[in-house]
Amino acid sequence: MSEKKKFYQTDEFRMFMGKYGIGVILIFMIFVIAVMKPRFIYPSNILNVLTQISVNCLIAYGMCLAITTGGIDLSVGPQLALVSVLLGQFIVVRNMNIGLSIILALAATTLFGFINGVLIAKFNMAAFVVTLATQLVIRSIAQIISDGKGMSMASQAFKDIYSGTLIGVPLPIIYMVVISVIMYIVMHWTKFGRYVFAVGGNVNAAIASGVDVFWTKALCYTISGLLAGIAGVIFTSKTGSAQSNIGVAYETDAVAACVLGGTSFAGGISTAPGVLLGAVIIGCIYNGMNFLNIGSYYQYMTKGIIIIFAVLLDMVINKKNR
Amino acid sequence: MSNSEYILNCDGISKAFGGTQALKDVQLHVKPGEVHALLGENGAGKSTLMKCVIGLIKQDSGTMEFEGKPYQVNGPIDALNSGISMIHQELNPEPYLTVAESIFLKRENTRGILLDKKAQNKRCQEVLDKFDVSYNATTKMKELTLAQVQMVEIIKAVSCDSRLIIMDEPTSSLDSTETEQLFEVIRDLKSKGVAIIYISHRMEEIFEICDRVSVFRNGTYVDTKSMEGVTRDELISMMVGRDVKSVFPKVDCKIGETVFKVENLCGDAFHDISFEVHAGEILGIAGLVGSGRSETMRAIFGLDPITSGKMYLEGKEITNKNPRSAIKKGICMVNEDRKNYGLCLLRSIRENISLPNLPARQKGLILNQKREKQECQEAAEKLTVKAASIEHNGFSLSGGNQQKVVLAKWILANPKVLILDEPTRGVDVGAKSDIHTLMCEFAAKGMAIIMISSELPEVMGMSDRILVYHEGRISGTIQRKEILDNHITQKDILAMEFAQHNKD
Amino acid sequence: MKKKVVAALLASVMVMSLTACGSSGSSGGAASAPASEAPASEAPAQSEAAPASEAAAEGEAAADTAASGGDLNGDGKIIVGYISKNTTDVFHATLNGAAEERLDSLVADGTIDEWTGILDGNTDAAKQCDLAQDCINYPCDYVIILPAESTASDPAVTSMADAGIGVIVVNSATDSTDSAAMAFAGSDDVYAGELMGNYVMEHVEGGGTFVHCQGIIGNSAQIQRGEGIANTIEKDSGWTKAADVPCDWDASKAVNTVDDYLAQYGDDLKAVICDNDDMSSAAQAECNAKGREDIVCIGVDGNQGPLQMVKEGTLGATVLQDGAGQVNAGIDAIVASIKGETVEKKIIVPFVLVTPDNVDEYLK
Repeated sequence: MSEKKKFYQTDEFRMFMGKYGIGVILIFMIFVIAVMKPRFIYPSNILNVLTQISVNCLIAYGMCLAITTGGIDLSVGPQLALVSVLLGQFIVVRNMNIGLSIILALAATTLFGFINGVLIAKFNMAAFVVTLATQLVIRSIAQIISDGKGMSMASQAFKDIYSGTLIGVPLPIIYMVVISVIMYIVMHWTKFGRYVFAVGGNVNAAIASGVDVFWTKALCYTISGLLAGIAGVIFTSKTGSAQSNIGVAYETDAVAACVLGGTSFAGGISTAPGVLLGAVIIGCIYNGMNFLNIGSYYQYMTKGIIIIFAVLLDMVINKKNR
Repeated sequence: MSNSEYILNCDGISKAFGGTQALKDVQLHVKPGEVHALLGENGAGKSTLMKCVIGLIKQDSGTMEFEGKPYQVNGPIDALNSGISMIHQELNPEPYLTVAESIFLKRENTRGILLDKKAQNKRCQEVLDKFDVSYNATTKMKELTLAQVQMVEIIKAVSCDSRLIIMDEPTSSLDSTETEQLFEVIRDLKSKGVAIIYISHRMEEIFEICDRVSVFRNGTYVDTKSMEGVTRDELISMMVGRDVKSVFPKVDCKIGETVFKVENLCGDAFHDISFEVHAGEILGIAGLVGSGRSETMRAIFGLDPITSGKMYLEGKEITNKNPRSAIKKGICMVNEDRKNYGLCLLRSIRENISLPNLPARQKGLILNQKREKQECQEAAEKLTVKAASIEHNGFSLSGGNQQKVVLAKWILANPKVLILDEPTRGVDVGAKSDIHTLMCEFAAKGMAIIMISSELPEVMGMSDRILVYHEGRISGTIQRKEILDNHITQKDILAMEFAQHNKD
Repeated sequence: MKKKVVAALLASVMVMSLTACGSSGSSGGAASAPASEAPASEAPAQSEAAPASEAAAEGEAAADTAASGGDLNGDGKIIVGYISKNTTDVFHATLNGAAEERLDSLVADGTIDEWTGILDGNTDAAKQCDLAQDCINYPCDYVIILPAESTASDPAVTSMADAGIGVIVVNSATDSTDSAAMAFAGSDDVYAGELMGNYVMEHVEGGGTFVHCQGIIGNSAQIQRGEGIANTIEKDSGWTKAADVPCDWDASKAVNTVDDYLAQYGDDLKAVICDNDDMSSAAQAECNAKGREDIVCIGVDGNQGPLQMVKEGTLGATVLQDGAGQVNAGIDAIVASIKGETVEKKIIVPFVLVTPDNVDEYLK
């Protein structure tokens, strides 16, 4: 016990707990569910959960950047729909090459992300209001393009984007891992990442330190648009259907993942691994509750309570570290 | 230890934050009707003890007595009701509240559940009338100067019938006349039997206004002395635990070519400013708060717009649209408003130091973190930043150490022109001396330094040349020689700060 | 630097290590792939492998003949999954309620061992695909699914079928329901649309203008009911369609639509056809309140509110979709399969036009 205490007292350990204390909650949760329902931790179910969270995880990374700069991106759900209907138009109607179609569709969501960023950063509008408005615009554009109709995306090559595997690992997990690594590098190893934290932490100090606030913010929303687009490609491949009514309320799970992962709504604090952990927790909540036979009417309540509890616990851990 | 001679008795107070022991078995005894100075370097534990007294934090051990009775407190409101109030160093007025609303905040006049504004304003005006102030109960807080805001806080304390008022660095944002007004108020309060705990780094003030002094060092209590018979050097060595060299370590170094020059610069708060600064020179700028000195420097740094005029760096004309372009050219500025423009307190010391210096420390798109860490570590050590590690965030630092971190980031940037706006405000004696020494070092390396200070002794002690501001214009220039020869005294500079007034 | 690389990859390592043990744990390598050997790869994890994998290897064929006695995946238990469309709208709440009652009684009498409870599909096809994976891992032998979308929910049906689960599609069909599912129990939405169109044409003499309040655009029920309307009243020369108005199944939006078009067309507006009867009952109430009892409003579903109005005489008629009948037909198919009886592939539960004459039969 004494040696453990020594380890517990080190600064490194405290800071690690401050950043990733939520991981402890995750392990606890997995343990509890697994004891009650051993099948929960069968490899096949673990792969299943990780595959399921890939869409939310990608959206959450973008959301995390927006929240870290002190904003929010509510337009992610309609961005999924936009990608979906564009893919339908390009691949099914115009019979275009799949790769090219994806690039064009991603370009569109990235552009809308950039527009969000410009409106927020250049004109200093509230991110909540701007993205609340653009999400309506984007949803509407998706409906106009698709004429409100769903379209089957039967091509096996396209469906393989979601259902394919690489050395036994479902591709969505591979995408998630690759993007997690990239996001870690972007957020923690680049100038841009530092600027994001500085802008969110204290925008005046950032300006006085020579940070280009406009480009930092604009880039955050642009990246959010791109990631939502990639999530949309996965989503469309998953359902094999191009539709304009998808992604409704997807921003809430993304925000929840960010918050669980220690992203501060006041801005300036977040970590990429935290967001990943948050997304995994959300996935485990959904999957675990179904495994535990929790009635669907109780599931939302359970989810809400877990989020509040987890964030409270996280705050307690962090407060001790101050 | 209960002693009726004292209004406040604190005994054996200890407090730890995580692993660091902020207070170790300290004591403090304050008599009614005295001004009791609390002296110590930043991080010595003064603020922590005061936070215990007003209930912002709870001590781990130790007892407090107030007016002879055991005293336990659950927060500032509770303390206020008991008769203790505190005027914080960094005032955070709510800009859209009126004076009356600020004074009666949290204890509003009510009629049922509704506010009775009329009665409240009337009551407030009665209190205000007792003091000689130029605003009234319905003035909005945002229309007041910092000094006036502070006065509101004092009036609030008095109106609450406080028998003990704690003032944390009350003069840090006041100019000399405002300070004098504050002292008048303090003397008046004292005569009414109110005890005042006065925290300040300015020795002159402590000698002028205080009766007794308690000294803290590194979270421990050193001693309490009567101000009569104690010398400045004694106090400093008590605080620092070592001898501090001569107060201003200015070394004359070779003054080189003109590095930076402005001609007929105009902006919102300043007009027709022209000056030049040379390599190796420390240019001091004196003037009242609001005289346009900080505003000029903000404009040069690109934070505020310039309406007309020209700037030259090393003979070439330049413009600074924003701080980024200024930093790129080698003009850096330490802002007087440390909280807003200095640091991002949420982030680590390392990230703060490296923030303006990131572009030069990339390998491709990726940061060279090893180099960054090493350079930040060196810079922090050079400036003797007191922190367990550079990975800790800014909140864990005392004011003086935060200032050192701000300086560290600009030192890494290795600027040609370094603008320092109130570089030693709220900084303890030891750190102050460190900062002065560093300024001389940089000057010796050929950096041009512009230093704004409200502390006349500092400006006079550190500058090669002094510009005096008055109402947005330069009203005089003084050479170091004139000061050394005693041709110019503090009084003369003060006169220059008020010059135009006398003529009007 | 190396140390930092390790630290940075912490997240990815975590994920990777999980996936690594995933592939090592399953014998075949394709751990959660929707390939047909999925149940086989589950089997080694279970101890009683031998008889089970035989049954599972038969896959769909086994479902049709139900030779295994219901324990399709061979884990010794018969487990039924229930993926709802959603748990919020009235029609589905009734349907879920009927399913819950019936499945609980099947557990009580020992026909099945367990069921998953109502899994909330959130009207989101992607969510239903996730739930399908959850059911495969649960592991379920039979799953009842009420698809949110005809195309987008299809992967949920096919992946479960590929995993050897007996899939019962209820209410509306997905694209490959015919080939992949064990059975389909539902009603023909085009027919519902036609019922509405014909009813309006019969009850309003001389034709006129009507407005169509749509459900959420893209839902199969919306599309097919629209088709039925197009097949009948839109072809009639006496009738003009003012507009198709997207009302998202939402009663208050339908009321707004009625107000807008009343203002625009006045007396020419003779009928309001709605994709569900939450909307039509609200529309009728609004017309009645404005003194336009002559306007005929009709919708589909047969929810209790509209039925009550039919009984009171404030609503002319509503088209009842027998949701409880559909889900019970689906569960009947499962029971039949467990008993080894032949399962009918397509069970059509008819829509019923409910008028004051027959309303008492359906009003609870």
